[in-house]
Amino acid sequence: MKQGDAGIAGKTLSKILNGNIGDYLLKRGTIVGMLVLILVLGIRAPVFFDVTNLMDVLKQGGVLTLIAISQTVVLISGGFDMSAGALLQLTSNLAAGFILANRGSASAIGLGVVIGAVAGLFNALMVVYVKIPSFVATLSSMLIMTGATLFYNDGKSITLYDKPGFFYIGQGYIGGVIPVLFLIVLVIMSIVHLFLKYTKTGLHMYSVGENIQAALIRGINPRKAVFLSFIIAGILVGFTGVLQTSYNYGASAMTTGMDFLMSALAASLMGTTYSKTGELSVIGTAISAIFISSLSSALIANGVSNMLQPGLLGLVLIASILLTVIKKREIGQISFF
Amino acid sequence: MSDLKANTNRQDAIGAVSVSKTAKESRLYNFFLQNGVILGMVFVMLLFHIINPKFLVFNNLRNVLNQSSLLIIMSIGMMMAMSVKAVDLSIAQLADAAGLISAIIIIHRGPPWMAFVAPVVFGLIVGLLNALMISYLGIPAIIGSLGMMFIIRSMELTLTTSGAAQVLFTLPPKMTRAFFFLGIGKVGPVPFLTIFTAIIIVAAHFLRHRTVFGREMDAVEGNARVAYLSGINVRKVFGLAFVMGAILSAIAGVALAARTGSAVPRSVEGYLMECFVSVYLGVILSRRNKMNVIGTAVGALFVGLIGNWITLMGLGAPYKFAINGLIILIALSIGTMRKSNQSS
Repeated sequence: MKQGDAGIAGKTLSKILNGNIGDYLLKRGTIVGMLVLILVLGIRAPVFFDVTNLMDVLKQGGVLTLIAISQTVVLISGGFDMSAGALLQLTSNLAAGFILANRGSASAIGLGVVIGAVAGLFNALMVVYVKIPSFVATLSSMLIMTGATLFYNDGKSITLYDKPGFFYIGQGYIGGVIPVLFLIVLVIMSIVHLFLKYTKTGLHMYSVGENIQAALIRGINPRKAVFLSFIIAGILVGFTGVLQTSYNYGASAMTTGMDFLMSALAASLMGTTYSKTGELSVIGTAISAIFISSLSSALIANGVSNMLQPGLLGLVLIASILLTVIKKREIGQISFF
Repeated sequence: MSDLKANTNRQDAIGAVSVSKTAKESRLYNFFLQNGVILGMVFVMLLFHIINPKFLVFNNLRNVLNQSSLLIIMSIGMMMAMSVKAVDLSIAQLADAAGLISAIIIIHRGPPWMAFVAPVVFGLIVGLLNALMISYLGIPAIIGSLGMMFIIRSMELTLTTSGAAQVLFTLPPKMTRAFFFLGIGKVGPVPFLTIFTAIIIVAAHFLRHRTVFGREMDAVEGNARVAYLSGINVRKVFGLAFVMGAILSAIAGVALAARTGSAVPRSVEGYLMECFVSVYLGVILSRRNKMNVIGTAVGALFVGLIGNWITLMGLGAPYKFAINGLIILIALSIGTMRKSNQSS
């Protein structure tokens, strides 16, 4: 056993020494780059590697990770969801209103899930039955939901006080160390991953996204796959909106959720760089989302001004994608409209 | 052959499971499908005018035309990228930055011509970088332009120390006269900005639909592989779409700063969504269901008119979002109805 390990390590080493460094970096570059970046930033500011800080980072990344997972589910079956950020804001605001009216955490979560499912159903109907390209269909539902959020909160944030039971979901720690939110993320991530990779329906979704013509020939119903992906994403985002309220002590006045959407999209796309074939995966997405939030936390610990953070995120995004696409060098056309 | 088949529209494939049966027999139905959109727009405008008689009045219309210039020019820029099957998410941020650059130059007493040239050069550089990333290195358009958007945002925040507004209209008029002429000057009764926008629309229309280059863009949109095999420099054409889009949106940003007399960082970001609305309205306005310059401009003007009406009625942002969302839905439902009618 030990020998085998050494053998593999030796092989890798000899590969690197034989001048395949470029190849090796192209294959594993993203993950190596991420680790190096975080390590360097962490060594410069050792506070970052504190256990409490690391756990905080996991907590901060929770909401982003869940949205990114929902975006990945839609992307896997070949669609695109512009409305995720707006839906997050909508359910976050509605949940805040519910909690404010003392209706209890369970009903708030129920409301989030129901609203999410309805929004997902709407998107799915538009894409599958009215046959509007997913990018635009979800753009329109994004605008409608943003309008609804503004109707509800009049452009003001809703702040919550003294709701320890509800705050525990997003803020609490189990045993004082592990954030509840992170555990929720882990559970959801595992379920979605298992569903997509090990069930017939999940694999059908992958195949529809890869090549819809081939899927049709194999007798797969693409409508069902696309429909399901929007419903799952809607429910997931709706639920995440409630978590966001709990994590944030209320709902923010920010309405479009554009920043969330963009970061989530960045995470899903960065997640494709871990596999050789550039396949979308839930686990890759989750790792990238946590990387993105830990990057901003590490930058703050290093005293980098938060004015520079979006730019650095942009650079990291471009650089990581570049590693996977540079070999193929096709033109960057996109297909979802 | 199989390549071609794989490239057919995904939405068609989704719909192919059940053949839709529309009432294609009726002539009236066909007439409305062809001309219904523009008739519908006129009808909506008239209805709005009946609800609020201050709406379709010469002075108000002149204002709306002037105010819509930003959206019109930016939407045409977005259309350039979208009409080669790409998307440029950085243009709103770029327009924002361009306005900011010209404002900063004027505040620091730079030469007036610099306030016009520097932002456009900046746009050119951003466009070239986008083209390099997306066309030559092969980064998918949505990621490359998204990254660029983040980078420009950081640059803007650093320039203004986390987003302070750059106010021009409080400066002595001597410093700003030349710059403001673009935004609020008049030639006779017509605002200069309206004339300027019209010139840009005509130039863009000519470039996109009446030149060999424009046809090459059509070819890249239709099928990049086939375009390559027929000898078109696909990378160049694809990249230039981004360069044109970036320059147009930089111009739009300067025009906005000149009209409002100030540049507020991150204030143009919201227009990104409206650009999409305009482009899709342009698609259904055209008879062939294709993206086009004139349609996009009319679409942008329609979006501007609706925004103006909502303001006149004192309704505010929630309605604006909701109505824009509904417009897209209605527009695209009509679009898909027309498509299924044409292909059957």
